[in-house]
Formats: sequence, C-alpha cells, structure tokens
Amino acid sequence: MDRRDFFKRVAVASAASAVLTVPAAQARDRASRKMGSIIDLTRCDGCVHLNTPACVTACRDKNAGRFPEPEERFLQDYWPQDFHEDWSSERDRTDRLTPYNWTFVERVEVPGGETVFVPRRCMHCDDAACQKLCPFGVIGKSEEGAVNIDTEFCMGGAKCRATCPWNIPQRQAGVGLYTKLLPKLAGGGSMYKCDGCADRLANDEKPACEIECPRDAITFGPIDEIKAEAKRRAEAIGGHLYGLDEAGGTSTIYISKVPFEVIDRAIALDKAHTQDDLPGRPHMRPEIQSSLQNAGGLFVASVLAPIAGAAAAGIAVYKSRQKERDDA
Amino acid sequence: MPEKSAATHTPKVVTITRQSRSNRIVHALVASSTFGLIVTGLGQMPFYSRYKIADIPGLTWLGSYEITLWLHYLFAFVLMGAVTYHILYHALRREFAILPKRGDFKHSLQVIGAMVRGQKEPPSEKYLPEQRLAYAFIAFAIGLTIVTGLIKVYTNVPGWNVSDGMHFWSAQLHNLGFFLVFMGIIAHLAAFLFKPNRKLLGGMRHGQVEAHYTLERHAHWKEGVQKARSALAGQTPPESAAPKPPEEETPKGDRPCEESAAR
Ligand code: HEM
Ligand code: HEM
Ligand code: SF4
Ligand code: SF4
Repeated sequence: MDRRDFFKRVAVASAASAVLTVPAAQARDRASRKMGSIIDLTRCDGCVHLNTPACVTACRDKNAGRFPEPEERFLQDYWPQDFHEDWSSERDRTDRLTPYNWTFVERVEVPGGETVFVPRRCMHCDDAACQKLCPFGVIGKSEEGAVNIDTEFCMGGAKCRATCPWNIPQRQAGVGLYTKLLPKLAGGGSMYKCDGCADRLANDEKPACEIECPRDAITFGPIDEIKAEAKRRAEAIGGHLYGLDEAGGTSTIYISKVPFEVIDRAIALDKAHTQDDLPGRPHMRPEIQSSLQNAGGLFVASVLAPIAGAAAAGIAVYKSRQKERDDA
Repeated sequence: MPEKSAATHTPKVVTITRQSRSNRIVHALVASSTFGLIVTGLGQMPFYSRYKIADIPGLTWLGSYEITLWLHYLFAFVLMGAVTYHILYHALRREFAILPKRGDFKHSLQVIGAMVRGQKEPPSEKYLPEQRLAYAFIAFAIGLTIVTGLIKVYTNVPGWNVSDGMHFWSAQLHNLGFFLVFMGIIAHLAAFLFKPNRKLLGGMRHGQVEAHYTLERHAHWKEGVQKARSALAGQTPPESAAPKPPEEETPKGDRPCEESAAR
C-alpha cells in the first residue's frame, strides 16, 4: 500500500465518521419518532388480585417464542469457572428479571407500612452503555429508541449487564453464537431483556404491558410529551421522578410519591435480608451515573493527541533542517 | 540531536548510526502503547475475570471495564500522537525507504530462503524487503484500529448516537485490527529468532549497528555504506564523514532508498 493511499484512507474514514455522527447527535432531540414511557407508581397496585401482574403476563405471552431453548449438551460450566447461568429450569419465575422474564414487579415495603409496587425492566437509555460498550456491536437501537440485543450474535460475555447502570440484561447459557464456536472455552450464552416492543412501536402500536395494565400505570408516547406529562403529574402530587436524568437520561420515567432513595434503600434491605445476591433485582439509586459520562472530555483529548504529534513533528523537522543549514 | 559517536559507544566493533533518536523514540512509543492497548483492549472483553487473571493479587484492576477503558484511551492517545508524528516527520523529510516496493514479496522469499539455509542473501537496501512488507502490514493494522477506535471514542460521547451498522462494523473491524496487530507483533518478534536479524536490535536500542554487517547485508543502502566505509577507514567517526567521496554521490532523482543520514 502506498503511503498517500494510507493517508487518504485515514482521512476519508475519520471524515466519514464525523459526518455520520454529528447529524445523528443533532437530530437526536428533534427525532420525531423517539418514544418514551411513564411508569406511574401512584397508579400501579401490583395486580395483587392476580397470581401474576398483568403486565408481566402480557410480556411473557408476547415474547414466549423468543425465549432461549438451550441444548442440554451445551449447559456446561464456563471454563475455568465452576458455574454457568441456566434459568431454563426456572422459566416460571416472575419475581425477578431472568432470560425468561423481561419485566417483573418489585414489591417494596417502605418504612411507615406503605407498600409500593415497582414494575421493572430495561430503561432504554438515551446513551445506552450496554449498546455503546458491547465488544461485538450487536446491540441495536430503533428509531423509536428501543434498545435491542441481537441474541443470535451475542456471545454472552455479559459485559452489557456489567456496564448497564441497573444490570438489566440476563444471561442464559447453552444458546447463541458461542455454541457454534468454542463452547467450552469462550462465550457464555446470550443476553435477554425487554426490547421495548420495538416491533409494535415501529408500527405505531402500544407495547404489550401498556395494553394489559388495568390501571393505566404504563403509558408510552412521543418522548417530549411523555416528559412533559411526567413532570405535570409529579408536580400535581408533589411527587418524584426517576429516569429523567439518571444515567444521563433514559426514555423511562417513573413517578412516585415516595422518594426514590427510600424505595432504593428498602429494595437493598430486602435483598440483604433474603441474602439475594443474584442479578435481576435492580436498585433504584437516584442520580446513578453511567460509566461513560466522562467520555466527552476524553473525546477532546483524542483530537488533541494527533495535533500534539503533528506539532512535535513540525518542530523536529524544523530543528533538523536548521542543523543541516548550520552544518553546511 | 547528536548521536554518541561510535568510538565512545563500542570501543572494539566499528558501528554506524542506523536509527536516529527520533526513530527510536517513535518505535518505543508505538511498541509500548500498542502493548498497553492489547492488554487494556482485552480488558474491554469479558476476558480477565472469566479466565481468573483478575483473581491474581495486583491484577484485579484488569477486571474493571472502566479502569481498563480509561487506560485504553490513554495508550490510544500516545499511539495516535506517535503515529501522526511519524507520518508527518518522514513525509516532510521525504524519507520513504521503509515503504514497500514492487517485487518485495518475491525478494522477501529469496532473502528469507537464503537466511534459513545459511546461504548468502541478495543485498538489501536500508530495509530488507520483508521489513518493508512487515511495516506496511503493521501500519495497515494499526491504522484500522485507530480509525475504528476513533469511531468508538466518538460514539461513547454522551448524546452522540450512530446507526446500528456503525456500532457493528466499528466493533468488528476494531477486533479484526486487534487480531492483525497481534499477529503482526508475533511475526515481528519471531523475526529475531533468526540470528542474522539480531544485528538489527542495536539499531532500535541505541541506534548503532555494525559497519561490517551493513556492508554485507545492506549493500544497496547508499547512505549506510558510505558511513560504514568512512567508519572503517578508521580515523573519522561516522558523524564527521560529511564530505562525501565524489564517486559515491547519490544520483539525483534516485528512488526511495535515499533515507537521509540519521541525525
Ligand atoms: C520488545 C519488542 C520489540 C523489539 C525488540 C523490536 C525491535 C525492532 C527492531 C530491531 C526493528 C528493526 C529496526 C531496523 O531495521 O533497524 C524494528 C522495526 C519495527 N518495529 Fe519493532 N520491536 C519491538 C516491538 C514492536 C511493536 C510492539 C511494534 C508495533 C506494533 C513494532 C513495530 C515495528 C515496525 C513497524 C518496524 C519497522 C518494520 C520492520 O523493521 O519490521 N515493534 N523493531
Ligand atoms: C494497537 C491498537 C489497538 C488494539 C490492539 C486495540 C484493542 C482493542 C480491543 C481488543 C477492544 C475490545 C473489543 C471491542 O470493544 O471492540 C478494544 C476496544 C476499544 N478500543 Fe481499542 N485497540 C487499539 C487501538 C485503539 C485506538 C487507537 C483507540 C482510539 C482512538 C481505541 C479505542 C477503543 C475503544 C473506545 C474501545 C472500546 C470500548 C467501546 O466499546 O466503546 N482502540 N480495543
Ligand atoms: S437500562 Fe441497561 S440494558 Fe437498558 S438500555 Fe440502559 S444500559 Fe442498556
Ligand atoms: S403496571 Fe399495571 S399491569 Fe403491571 S402490575 Fe402494575 S397495575 Fe398490574
């Protein structure tokens, strides 16, 4: 390869990336199709009259065909670890997030005797750490803002769960791409989570949980309207919002009369009490940060590094020419 | 940037300057940052925890996606700075001796073939043909990681979102670049398993290689041959060999091999 060619390629590719990213960033706020949702804890009663909350059943029914079907022979430990994550024998569990249960309702007893029911699922972040940090780039985001894992190409390393501010995606062993590669040595299955009913949103239909909720606790709509409505409702009751600014902004906004730090503490206490240290019961810490929140400043540094290199080259060449002149 | 004179450096063996300080610093920065990028890049994969490397006392930080990501950024800045410097420096000085030439593939096979069989190699310029190919390969691989890495850096900025395809291809091609860089380095280091190539190691350590070696193996490296001859002539250290014997004048318009005197 000729060096000019190389140079050109670098230039073209960086220019292309700049062109592709900047308009996307500008378009973000105006994006006409971007959706959001409200989960109103003042309305949700946890469907206590039912065995399983209606939203959870709706979600399970809609997605049953997409649940993992692992092959027995691939259900083996992640060498050299002595465990693997297999939920296939606990498909009926609805008390937490699993690969077979993409939404659940956390029953929270807050001090003072009140009970709050908190439907949980993926928040569909504005800057989804799971998507941006996936080392294989197989997490997508629809025009409507629904974040979706491609379970066929997922390797199951669970980095998305580790980097998600709420550790939402859950792993099932024995399925996915790794079973076709080196199932003993690398990979761990595939990750599953709520996909925001991306297919329905794309068709201007309501997600399953919203449709089945008897109390109108879940509302999807254009993001601007959702944000305005959430603020209006919170103001009316002197309540609190969660998800608006958390992790740099999400498209899921909770409304509650009980402060979220109280809810968070109650969840943490219950998990400690029941010695529940498995993933799948997310915290509710206010102002939780995404690990990528500092990435903006480092972007500037990534532009400065080549400039510094170029300046050093200019100086070095100038000096060497000066020396040649002096020597002559 | 004055070099140590050959006489003070190695009293017995006569040497000449092969790699300038600038080249050596660039090589050291590229090598160390690339090494750091491989280590911290693997930290962006579920690697160190899975394989229990992060269990080793002192290495637990390798299991943190966050710490390794910021270190990855840091090494990337060093690499990009050094690469920009390298390209601009040699472009401005019009030094292109390390770029591949037509026939390098065939000639590499001849040189390597002779080297393994212990026969006399065909004479080379400043760089052996396989070195020029190795350079192009590593440059391409590093270029690929830089372009795709920059895309990742952009997309990590809060508020900046790109298409699914951009995420997919930047990750896949970054991983491919990683693989190519890794293979390139293995091959690069494996080259020094062969004794004749080890004579070059000094060139990257302190800048000097043996004058005899230069005359034997790099007979088509005009600058080097001149320096080696004057150095062997004994009296003059290579740096003051400035007035060139007229019959050795580099012909005007000659192709790339005119890597100018290291300084
Ligand atoms: C400790 C490890 C290394 C040693 C001992 C080493 C040594 C050398 C030596 C002796 C040369 C030949 C210089 C000459 O012809 O005068 C060279 C060239 C080169 N090195 Fe390294 N190097 C190391 C690591 C690396 C790494 C990690 C990279 C980059 C990824 C790298 C990239 C290059 C390139 C591109 C060249 C020019 C092409 C060539 O000569 O093959 N080196 N290195
Ligand atoms: C020799 C050079 C390099 C090697 C071997 C290397 C290796 C890797 C590997 C193995 C990964 C994890 C897989 C992935 O996420 O795709 C990674 C991730 C990453 N690399 Fe590199 N890399 C190199 C250079 C660079 C450069 C120059 C930049 C920036 C300009 C960069 C930026 C990144 C970023 C931002 C990530 C991942 C975090 C994310 O997904 O956003 N890398 N690198
Ligand atoms: S909540 Fe977690 S899984 Fe959902 S989009 Fe955000 S980072 Fe991804
Ligand atoms: S959100 Fe609606 S459907 Fe879900 S538990 Fe609450 S009341 Fe029931």
